[in-house]
Amino acid sequence: MSKSFGGVRAVQNVSIAVPANSIFALIGPNGAGKSTLLNLLSGIYQPDAGSLHFDENNLIGLPAHRRVRLGIARTFQKIRLFKQLTLLENVLAGFHIHQDAPFWKYLVYGNTGRFREEARELLAFVGLEARSGERAGALPYGKQRMLEIARALATQPRLFMLDEPAAGLNAAEVDFLLKRLEQISRRGVTVIVVEHNMDLVMNVAHRVFVMDHGEPLFEGTPREVQANPRVIEAYLGGEFAP
Amino acid sequence: MNERVKARTALGTAIVLVLLAPWVLDQPYWRGILVVCAMNVLLALSLNLVLGYTGQLNLGQSAFFGIGAYVSTLLIKSYGWNFWLAALVAVGAAGLLGLALAAFAVRLRGHYLAIASLGFAVITYQVLVNWENVTQGVRGIYGIMPPVASTTALFYLVAGIAVLVYVLIGNLVRSPIGETLRAIREDEVSAASLGINAALWKAFAFGIGAAIAGLAGCFYPGFVGTLVPDAFNIVESFTMLAMVIVGGMGTMIGPVIGAIVLTFLPELLRGFGELRLMIYGLALTLVVLFMPGGMVQAWMALRARIR
Repeated sequence: MSKSFGGVRAVQNVSIAVPANSIFALIGPNGAGKSTLLNLLSGIYQPDAGSLHFDENNLIGLPAHRRVRLGIARTFQKIRLFKQLTLLENVLAGFHIHQDAPFWKYLVYGNTGRFREEARELLAFVGLEARSGERAGALPYGKQRMLEIARALATQPRLFMLDEPAAGLNAAEVDFLLKRLEQISRRGVTVIVVEHNMDLVMNVAHRVFVMDHGEPLFEGTPREVQANPRVIEAYLGGEFAP
Repeated sequence: MNERVKARTALGTAIVLVLLAPWVLDQPYWRGILVVCAMNVLLALSLNLVLGYTGQLNLGQSAFFGIGAYVSTLLIKSYGWNFWLAALVAVGAAGLLGLALAAFAVRLRGHYLAIASLGFAVITYQVLVNWENVTQGVRGIYGIMPPVASTTALFYLVAGIAVLVYVLIGNLVRSPIGETLRAIREDEVSAASLGINAALWKAFAFGIGAAIAGLAGCFYPGFVGTLVPDAFNIVESFTMLAMVIVGGMGTMIGPVIGAIVLTFLPELLRGFGELRLMIYGLALTLVVLFMPGGMVQAWMALRARIR
């Protein structure tokens, strides 16, 4: 796929194949086009050229909200919670596509209590069950990231994309996140993670895709990426390359 | 369980208050004000669904109010329809026009939506003034009969409908649809990432809001007895906006309180003569400046401080 903004070629001829059930990391220096690629995958942007498939489904032209119904969920680099709503309401909103009661039931009964239990379980999964009644905007930064993960998981995705989930987290929180990502993956969810935190990437990813200046640079296992001179050059500049 | 008991108690209290109101304010003039108040509650509820819960700054509510009034009156006066049948069609017409406007407006946000909806209100007003063959223009339509004989009965009717609408909207916003609407209000991109079709649900709220405003409009002509376009001037949209904001938008009870206060306040200030509008304006400004969340939020802050 390719995508330009004015004269800026944010993503150029990037071709990726993400194996099902893997944890796939997208890395690269700032401005490499990782977030743009994620926005192309999730449908926030449409590519200028190229093709995009999820299982048998052609995703080109499909708006973001329709892709969610196919099983694609995501979190955002800059946290986008529903700040005025409670933690529980945030997660319940994530169950939107699974709400199937007829309209008149909502008019007559109001809250049907559906998915309440599941939402609490998801809050417990990210360690926030005790704060379910608080407003999301009042949470500390790291917890907000975890809440966004719980909210996205409520859509019950088969492909889960996270845009820099470890940004702004302390070491303990990164550790917690790492364990959760592995658990999500073990449940049969394919994970794509854009990340700068190399500890996380090297520990959790099965495959790593490196981008630079909007173009693909290298793809391989974490070990191969660490040893690749071109990757090191892109990150550290030419003189440090072996 | 506790919440259900609370809701039942609140509903019971509201019904008792409605039943008592015409006997406390038992002069014909004040009973008339009560009818206006019940209509304003309906209008504030309708706008609150669109603005307070879905975050759409809609300044076209006066147009839907007017469409409800004119469509129902014309069907009754020109075609001899029964009031309720005419009201049903008028509500449908207002709702459909709301949906039609929403089809364009949902792509707009904030000020742009405000301007587009205000434009719609201006156009509707001009149509009512200039389409004289049908609407009689500024000459107005006379001798309109209310659906029930006495002012007190009309108050009970409109207030009963307002209570019913309150309960239905209250259920709706507590349901998963309420979470969906508030999610859109908070962040549309984020809502889309959860599979929410923001355009669809914004149009849904807009359409329902328009239909309820149209419903309020059905009772207005019969109450006044005459129908002129000036009753649906764009200023009315701002009055409704004031009711929602002063009461507390995005809460159920806030706009109801706002509608009651802003209906009675100008009446109570009549003794001040020319100063009346100045005091009214000052009071509004003070509320917006010092109680940005409206009276409901101010009350909750006060209660928290006392405890």
